[in-house]
Amino acid sequence: MGTVLTRELLVKWAPLIVLIVLILFFAAMEPRFFSMRNFARIGISSAPALMVAIGVTFIIIMGSIDLSMEGTVSVCAVIFAFAFIAWGGTLASVAWLALPLALVVGGIVGLINGLVHVKLKIPSFMASLAMGFVGTGFALLLTGGDRIRVEDELFRGLLTTRWFGFPIMCYVAVAFLLIAWFIQTRTTLGRNFYAVGGGEDLAHASGLNVNRVRVMGFALAGVFYAVGALLAVGRIGIAETATGSNFMFVSITSVVVGGTALWGGIGGVWNTLIGVLIVNVINNGMVVIGLPGYVQDGVLGALVIAAVVLSTDRKSVTFVK
Amino acid sequence: MSFIKKYIEQETINRRNFLLAGAYGLGGVAATSMFGPGMARAALTDPAVAWSYRNRTNPYWNEIVSGGEAFVESLGKSKDFLTHLINEGSSEKSLADVKAILAKTNGNLALAIDTNDAPNARPVVEAVAAAGGFVSTLWNKTDDLHPWDFGDNYVSHMSWSDEGPAEQTARILLEAMGGKGGVVHLGGIASNNPAIERLNGLKNALKDYPDVELLAAEPADWDTQKANQVMSAFLTRYGDEITGVHCANDTIAYGVLEALRAEGIDDMPIVSYDGNPQAVELVAQGKILATVFTNPHWGGGITAALAYHAAIGTFKPSDEPHEHREFYGPTVFITPEDAKEFKANFIESVPTYDWTDFWGPSNGQIMYK
Repeated sequence: MGTVLTRELLVKWAPLIVLIVLILFFAAMEPRFFSMRNFARIGISSAPALMVAIGVTFIIIMGSIDLSMEGTVSVCAVIFAFAFIAWGGTLASVAWLALPLALVVGGIVGLINGLVHVKLKIPSFMASLAMGFVGTGFALLLTGGDRIRVEDELFRGLLTTRWFGFPIMCYVAVAFLLIAWFIQTRTTLGRNFYAVGGGEDLAHASGLNVNRVRVMGFALAGVFYAVGALLAVGRIGIAETATGSNFMFVSITSVVVGGTALWGGIGGVWNTLIGVLIVNVINNGMVVIGLPGYVQDGVLGALVIAAVVLSTDRKSVTFVK
Repeated sequence: MSFIKKYIEQETINRRNFLLAGAYGLGGVAATSMFGPGMARAALTDPAVAWSYRNRTNPYWNEIVSGGEAFVESLGKSKDFLTHLINEGSSEKSLADVKAILAKTNGNLALAIDTNDAPNARPVVEAVAAAGGFVSTLWNKTDDLHPWDFGDNYVSHMSWSDEGPAEQTARILLEAMGGKGGVVHLGGIASNNPAIERLNGLKNALKDYPDVELLAAEPADWDTQKANQVMSAFLTRYGDEITGVHCANDTIAYGVLEALRAEGIDDMPIVSYDGNPQAVELVAQGKILATVFTNPHWGGGITAALAYHAAIGTFKPSDEPHEHREFYGPTVFITPEDAKEFKANFIESVPTYDWTDFWGPSNGQIMYK
């Protein structure tokens, strides 16, 4: 029993250990890595990715996958920017309504995504990937390929105003992380995600409306993608079709590296936080220690494999697909 | 059972007729192509006009296509007359699209294309020439492929050499830095030719400024968000040692500016490339010291116009000198002094170009190293 317990404990805490080891490694290579200002920079690059990754965490816990984030983020960013500018262009006016509008849009896109998956019985992988393309196409249709600048000083305060060294967007991200944690642990919906992911047949046999849980999960994920979109626009002050680019890779990688299993039922939003930080610490650290650009992608891939090996308990899995 | 027998008989005859007709058709095609691609058709009447390019999410390609649309509108047609072939960065799709539209139009085609990468230019050009269509290329082709080797069907190739202009913007940057300190470079996708040339431009300029150190050069993949993150990491590694930033294009510069803004730095000398409207605005405000405008609107329009007018016989490409077949596109420097004037002339009102002035704004024959 003793060894099993240690193994479980190790797997549980492995992502955090990986993160700490990485931070110590980069700090040893380049002392300037270990500074408040650099941690704030890592925080800025992590905040939008964390929101998107939390959204997909719920889906992965259910044992499904959602690949629509790039399209959803672009659509939310673009609609937010259009509405924000049309309604006054500053948070001090009614234009603040563009913020909840973006969340609603994200929820609707997620809802459609979930309905396509459940009602048309298309595997979530394919349904969400297709919805992602639809989203990107729709964003392109709206913008015609142009970029929309969001210049409002109040909104850009997300990036420029700092409390205790960290910009506001980091605190917004933490607030939504806590909301996600609440949903995961304190609501029926959150616990149902685990029920579906742990054993869908069992959940169904117990009288759970699995389809409803799935659709709700996708809608919830859409709302978190929208928060990610708002932070991404806050970070660079531009909304465009390319706003969603790269979020798919970063978010899925982060969720898996953080120890949430792709087969569902295991993991949670705190794992995702650690995963996002691992990926962003690696990205930042490689430039900071001056690793040549052409080896960075390779090193990132190798580190991701290493992190997954350390942080997931693969003994309980009989086969991998 | 006789009706079955009759049916089979009928079908056999039908198939034989079909095969014979097919063989006759193929023979006819072969006979025409014996006269060589240039001879197949002297001029086309009312050819389809198509533009094949990467995608529309990028402001640069958006400008290119707007030029193509302006050109077809100048012919008195609607924008929709221009067929868009979008390759999404795939050379295979680029070639497949071209073959499909050649089949559809039966070679009655004026094609403007960036073939996505250089090796893909040859099969594209050969396919168009074999079908009797007319093609003009932009940006990508191998050095051994020349329009004049294909008679009239390969009308022209336009490209830009970025090394010289990038060197000039680098000099503006290094002067603004007072000829000392440290500079970082954020580049495009490492294997892209313009990315390599623009970094070389900086390196050439640095030879005359021994007191400036090139601290680092990292690819930022022409991407605003990636540039933002790379610049943040540069700030950690080099901090105050960075006194100037050389960006491979405007979209990278936006990410750099925001990374600096997050740190409260608003007086860092920066130069970029491409002359997108937003960048011109930033140059006017003095936040970017210089950018280079390559007039993609004109480039997109004139590439389509060259293919079209060669196709309908307005001019005969093989009668033109080499500098009218392979030439550099225009480059215009934009600095804070002339940004306002530039904005008024090129952005607030898109100039109406004479799409039969094929070589007016071009920049001399392409030279190979």
